[in-house]
Amino acid sequence: MSYFAQALINGIALGGMYTILVLGFSIIWGVMGVINLAHGEFVMVGAYLAWMASDFWDVDPFVSAPAVFAVMLLFGYLVQRVLVNRIIDRPALVSLLVMFGISIILQSVMKVTFSADFRLANTDLDGAWRLTDRLTVPVTRFWVLVVAVGVTAGLNLFLGRSRLGKSIRAAAQNREAARIVGVDIRKVYAVTFALCIGLTGVAGALISPLLAVQPFQGPPLTLKAFAITAMAGLGSVRGALGGAMVLGLVEAMLALYVDRIGTNLAVVASFVLLVAALVLRPQGIFKGLRHVDATST
Amino acid sequence: MRRSVRAFVLLLLLVTATTACGEGSVEDAAPAAGEAAPVDLSAFDGTVRIGAALSETGKFAVEGRDSRQGYNTWVRWVNEEYGGIRIGEGRYGAEIVYYDDESDADTAANLIQRLIDEDRVDFLLGPYSSGLTTGTSAIAEANNVIMVEGNGTSDTMFERGFRNLFLVATVASDYTKSAVEALAARGVRTAVIAHEDTTFPTSVAEGARRHLEANGIEVLAIEKYPKDIQDVSAIMTKFRNLGPDVFLGGGHYNDAVLFVNAADELGFEPDAMLITVGPSNPRLVEQLDDDVEGVLGPTQWEATMAYEGDWFGSAADYAAYYRRLWGEPPVYQAASATASALALHLAIEAAGSTDTDAVRQALRALRADTFYGPIAFDERGVNTAKPMGTIQVQDGEILVVAPDAAAVAALVYPRG
Repeated sequence: MSYFAQALINGIALGGMYTILVLGFSIIWGVMGVINLAHGEFVMVGAYLAWMASDFWDVDPFVSAPAVFAVMLLFGYLVQRVLVNRIIDRPALVSLLVMFGISIILQSVMKVTFSADFRLANTDLDGAWRLTDRLTVPVTRFWVLVVAVGVTAGLNLFLGRSRLGKSIRAAAQNREAARIVGVDIRKVYAVTFALCIGLTGVAGALISPLLAVQPFQGPPLTLKAFAITAMAGLGSVRGALGGAMVLGLVEAMLALYVDRIGTNLAVVASFVLLVAALVLRPQGIFKGLRHVDATST
Repeated sequence: MRRSVRAFVLLLLLVTATTACGEGSVEDAAPAAGEAAPVDLSAFDGTVRIGAALSETGKFAVEGRDSRQGYNTWVRWVNEEYGGIRIGEGRYGAEIVYYDDESDADTAANLIQRLIDEDRVDFLLGPYSSGLTTGTSAIAEANNVIMVEGNGTSDTMFERGFRNLFLVATVASDYTKSAVEALAARGVRTAVIAHEDTTFPTSVAEGARRHLEANGIEVLAIEKYPKDIQDVSAIMTKFRNLGPDVFLGGGHYNDAVLFVNAADELGFEPDAMLITVGPSNPRLVEQLDDDVEGVLGPTQWEATMAYEGDWFGSAADYAAYYRRLWGEPPVYQAASATASALALHLAIEAAGSTDTDAVRQALRALRADTFYGPIAFDERGVNTAKPMGTIQVQDGEILVVAPDAAAVAALVYPRG
């Protein structure tokens, strides 16, 4: 029983990490129709910022996360104004290429600046709470989950209640119609992109004590975000949480209950779920803002 | 507007191409970290041109940089201190042409072909990792070019009957031998193994299983995991419930971080933890601090080992020279790289020429005591003279604890 309970805790903790990792990616894709291939690199930049705060000034990543959010928000806004805004009306392939270019540039810049050495941020929120002899809760991951759920709830409120949030959803559903009724699309996109890159930076800060920070850690994270988003539904905040939890639990259970190759199977699981969702429910398990096969406009 | 966007995209691609695909030889690149200072090779009677593809970017960038510094340590020493490679009556300068393989097997294979066809190198030194060495050595073999290496140790590479591949380091299946023997002597009964599902960690794990069973230790479970894994909690939960005496984890640097953290988070406290890559690296010890205390790791080489030779002096002398050049102590990947180049150098001198057949024969006949340990290749091209060492992190220090001949401290068991 405690075995299953531990698997449940592991799965939920992993789901929490995936949630915070996937939110920004999902909303950018859902609202703007841009597949942010540089997502993992924005996570990596956020992780470096948190590591710097931890290493140089001894600031815990959970404390520096709001500052990382602010810096990445600004960075996201700049990238949006200078680059993304100019390609938003172009075919989807152009935005894909530009984001790919940004990912390579960020990797190279970080490698030149920080070398390829592995870093880890220090957090005081580490170790484990021992519920019983055979049942522990990983402290860092628990707090990551708390932040992820908090951010999800906040975003849900923002998109559902605020005027700007409604504009964002309107722009996602039909850009031309939103423009006709007076929504400032450029502003909406700028806010969306900046906000999402800010959140992505926070994800980086929160995983900086968990995964080694290095310039080339991004691509597997982008792949994971892609699989969860396409499976759960583009731009759906609840979908990001739900999809991440489903995947976290499936991975944890498979890894625990299948001997020898369980962890290998767990990685395949995300793509099996993705293929199944694309065939059976293209709007995503949790119904996203648009279909995966919708054009960028 | 359209034009400016187009221009920007072009610029973007240009920047990408120049920054991401950094490559070049020691001649055309400005000396950077780990770079050999340009030496005037015209003062020598000739030049021995050697090629190497190493990872400056990608997954193996850290180890690639260490290997490059190792090779360049030999270049600096042979040109500046030793006075050039002695071939007959002449003194030949050494030059290494490098390319960045981006930690990618296809890129590495293309670059090795380029080193052979276009750069016309006389010999090759190995890349970092078994994965990259497997493909590149096949190309070297097909072109009849000798490759000496110290950082690709997977056994399967030496079961192919190649004539031109030589490994100065201990082969992967023997990585855990001295540690397992030391643990068996302390009464260990059970063990579990987790390893990355790629060439090198699989060789280490299979060897570990063999050594464990040969020493009467029962293997309770073996778990494989894919590369770039982000969570090992499930594996560690499973292992915690089995309650083994020893945990053996084999993969790369990031896996060591994941294993140590997950064990801490899950309250998994085996009496010994042996992790393949990571514990012997001072950076990991610095980053994980107390959590890594007592962890064991195999090491090809440590500066404290009692090895000595006519070239570079003792292991400690080598470490001091290396530190003078690069401002940091050498990790074993760097020492392995230097030893590879040194073995090639000694074989060229013994052969008295750069002829492939003569140098191959000289490599096969080579018997040398060096700062890195004894070097003598068997019929597969593997150096079987050097045993693998085991280190343990004790009070934040990396100390050799096995084999007894190389140990500077007693193994602490249980790790406490």
